[in-house]
Amino acid sequence: MTTTVRNFRQTARIALDDIRLQNALDGATGRFRKERDQALQELPDAEALRDHFKVVRDATLADLGAHLREFESNALKAGAHVHWASDAAAAREVILAIARRNGVRKIVKSKSMAAEEIELNAALEGAGFEVIETDLGERIVQLAGEPPSHIIAPAIHKTKEQVAELFQAESGEPAPAEIQALTEIARRRLRQVFLQADLGISGGNLAVAETGSLVLVSNEGNARMVTSLPRIHIALIGIEKIAPTWDAAAVWLSLLARSATGQPLSIYTSILTGPRRPDDVDGPEEVHIVLLDNGRSRLVGTKFEEALQCIRCGACLNACPVYREAGGHAYASPYSGPIGAVISPLLFGLKEYEALPHASTLCGACLEVCPVRIDLPRMLIALRQASVSVGLPSGNEVRAFRSAAWILAKPARLKWVRWLLRVLQTPFKRGSRVLILGFNLPALAATPFRNWQRKHGRR
Amino acid sequence: MNSDREQILNRLSRRAIVPDLPAGWSSRRRFEDLAGRFEHALQAARGEVYRVGSLEQAAGKIASIFEQAGVERVVCNREPVVVEIGVSLVRSGFELTFPGEAVDFRSACAGAQAGLTAAVAGLVETGTLVLHGGPGCSRLVSLLPAIHIAVLASSQFTGDLFTWTSRRAGKMPAATTLISGPSKTADIEQTMTIGMHGPKRLIVILIEE
Repeated sequence: MTTTVRNFRQTARIALDDIRLQNALDGATGRFRKERDQALQELPDAEALRDHFKVVRDATLADLGAHLREFESNALKAGAHVHWASDAAAAREVILAIARRNGVRKIVKSKSMAAEEIELNAALEGAGFEVIETDLGERIVQLAGEPPSHIIAPAIHKTKEQVAELFQAESGEPAPAEIQALTEIARRRLRQVFLQADLGISGGNLAVAETGSLVLVSNEGNARMVTSLPRIHIALIGIEKIAPTWDAAAVWLSLLARSATGQPLSIYTSILTGPRRPDDVDGPEEVHIVLLDNGRSRLVGTKFEEALQCIRCGACLNACPVYREAGGHAYASPYSGPIGAVISPLLFGLKEYEALPHASTLCGACLEVCPVRIDLPRMLIALRQASVSVGLPSGNEVRAFRSAAWILAKPARLKWVRWLLRVLQTPFKRGSRVLILGFNLPALAATPFRNWQRKHGRR
Repeated sequence: MNSDREQILNRLSRRAIVPDLPAGWSSRRRFEDLAGRFEHALQAARGEVYRVGSLEQAAGKIASIFEQAGVERVVCNREPVVVEIGVSLVRSGFELTFPGEAVDFRSACAGAQAGLTAAVAGLVETGTLVLHGGPGCSRLVSLLPAIHIAVLASSQFTGDLFTWTSRRAGKMPAATTLISGPSKTADIEQTMTIGMHGPKRLIVILIEE
């Protein structure tokens, strides 16, 4: 979150020139899209289910404070500890304090976007704790020292050869560039880590107020390991991810995996309600739930509240023509794609992330696939307006748009400017292109389209 | 942290008109052949289903699966059907460990080649098992061994997630796990690979009554 997004173009350029990455992005997003479409088509009432879910999410946010209080009270009754964190620093402090108090050494983590958001790993490692990511994709990017590039598939940008190199460098043992073998190597190494760890840190896909339960989904089973084996479990979850009832949670879960990967349900759905009970065979002795605000509550009651309905399925990333070319790293935020272009400026600052709302064609593909029908195009436009109203665009950009507005205001002006530009472009023309100031632009046609159409177009 | 709590809750102003939460969703999807659908859905996620007519047949089937896979050490959850099946498995020479029987049950799970559990429900639409952790029921039996066998009776079928949650009554146990297939990942080059962290094989023994 330190890269300025003024670099969006530069980082995107690197991604665009990387043919292998382009193939990986096309392959992965294409597959996710196809499988998501099939999974929803299989349901006789998918559209009505999405409408229903929209109502659920909207109604929840309308009284979020009450649902959070109910969640807290039920989680406490079940024996969990509940912590509230206003911002990233507060959340990191809570988690560090728990780790210190318990003399923790080895920490295992399952994938959490909220943990990325608060840059938790750096804080824990800075305090001397050993932190090991256990989702295969997250482990790969951790070994590579890179941030994840996709909400669902963090290592989308890595080849099996690169993974083999990383594994070999880590263990000092040869690793073949073969996917099944690499998976087996990761399984064996991480199994040892799971059995030794004394603290497990997870995110949370949702929290259910009715019973004070935390719900985690995973295909690999690492979230189950992280929440079952270590003596202490800490879950970090955004305050917006509350389902008031189990009826609401069922709708949430039935859309989450279908929208993310096209699965009817993820392989594992863990429903965790407090620590182990006195007669239980196993499970953590201590459970801490950290409710993270970090800018979310500010959005409630504003025209951006809708962004809080997001369940982080990643469907909008896979649908977005900009994400599909630029990849996740160009956004320089834990949240990439269309939803990232909306929530990054909202949560982390419009000034820092001013470029992101512009990194969109406003084609509406994100709205079409969103399980909660979040109107991302509307909010992208509103954020562009907001950035203009606080004077963020550069002087040249402002002058260019002012000039355009003046020219386009009267047909006669447009006609005159068109004539002028056609004359001025002549020395820079190379065939049908104009090369000027390092730009390669299409040349203005000798006959404007409207004239051509007047002559040939209408019958 | 109390100050953070108050700050956050103060900022979350209640909307002037709070819309009602809609009633529970009920799917229009209906399945005539419950066992067939369950089997189809679970197989699509690479799970295995064997149908049997009795507990005795279930024990026989499990013994033959263990023999084929070279399983000797098995950890089990203390549930009535598992205990009953366990008696005949022990007679067939398999080494069974139930919670409370090992000094370190967790190590027993880590060292076992298979885990044997029952299930509390089966979601037909998605081919999903519902397992409870609790007294006598470890979370690790269905997680650490490479093979997980679960015994499910056809009387435990429910339509889907919606019918299951609407039937849910009373307190939640500390751990409820929904399992819809063997552990898998697609994190390297989007290639689906079975057996990431959890069991490499998920086998359901379906007792049809």
